[in-house]
Amino acid sequence: MSTTSVKDGNGYSRSAVLLHWILAVSIFFLFVSSWWMLALPMPSEIFKYRAFPFQLHKNVGITLVFVLALLLYVRYRHRPAQPPADVMRPWMQRLAVVDHVILYVLIAACCLSGYLSSSYSGWGTKLWWAVELPNWGYENEELNILYSDIHLWTCWALLAVLAVHISGALYHAFRNDGIARRMLHL
Amino acid sequence: MSVSSPAWASALGVVAVVLGIFLTAMNGNELMKHAIITQPAGGEEQLAEPDCPPDELAEEGVSLAECEQLVAHVRTITVSRPDWFRGFYMSLAALGAVVAFASIVVGAALIDGRGWAPGAAMLNFGALAALDVAGFVAVVNAGPLLRDFYLWQLLLWFLIHLMMTVAAVVGRQGGPLPRPAAAHGRTELPADRA
Repeated sequence: MSTTSVKDGNGYSRSAVLLHWILAVSIFFLFVSSWWMLALPMPSEIFKYRAFPFQLHKNVGITLVFVLALLLYVRYRHRPAQPPADVMRPWMQRLAVVDHVILYVLIAACCLSGYLSSSYSGWGTKLWWAVELPNWGYENEELNILYSDIHLWTCWALLAVLAVHISGALYHAFRNDGIARRMLHL
Repeated sequence: MSVSSPAWASALGVVAVVLGIFLTAMNGNELMKHAIITQPAGGEEQLAEPDCPPDELAEEGVSLAECEQLVAHVRTITVSRPDWFRGFYMSLAALGAVVAFASIVVGAALIDGRGWAPGAAMLNFGALAALDVAGFVAVVNAGPLLRDFYLWQLLLWFLIHLMMTVAAVVGRQGGPLPRPAAAHGRTELPADRA
């Protein structure tokens, strides 16, 4: 266990904490539901199982981009103090920054490539069944497959980086050094 | 040594948060799964042939045999699900999603050293274990195909929640967490609890 800990009040703001956990649950929901929905029968006159899950997947994904943008804004407005070097060594701090940057880029890339793939697939997107989004693309199979591949690989990469991120959180929580508490402060 | 909550609370808390996120997502998906798959056995979809156009197969990277099996995959649920199962399992999944989401809050409270956290953790993890038992009993009474689908994972989750409940009970026996919620000050822990 660490011999020192991060002081209270040096953590993330409540808004950042809330947005972080909304992002976390939503991302895992998207992963779990996508694996399941791709095992549903392909759409036809009879089999319409995919309609709702795909629409929900797009809704949550598009909303995530806005939640991520809000989180970045909130984090920009309220930056937590640097943890002391004996709690988090400089290389760990650098790794955490790199991990966060890659994580945010991958979340955005994953969501945007999914939306672009959908745009070029010819299927429309009605955000939360209320707002018809403009179809930025046109029906183009090659571009659909290109963005679909980008979506697939950025999402796998996101899962890998998430594993690193969660490992870091577990490491600090098991050391009980106060770092994990900064994102769990109620 | 200056820490804000004992090591057991911090360790149990982060496990509760990580598993709580995953379980909330899983229960949400389970709820959607049974909401979407509505047809009872013997409906139109039971008799229909799968639609597997070659361009769709190429796009999704699945073979014709796999595409046909996608329909069989759904039929596995519809033919093996007793009439009562869908509503019951959806209720369990909805309740499970709420309790799992609450476990994220409880886990955060454990790490944050809230005084009420150990008691709440005991109740919350116990409730999750009870939901696993209810799901297990329901699936046992459903049939072999659904048992193959669900039993092993329900048993795994039950064992995890059982371990977490016992950990919270033992942790709580050590007394309340040293850091009152309102104070937000740092507290010295006795050596044997740190």
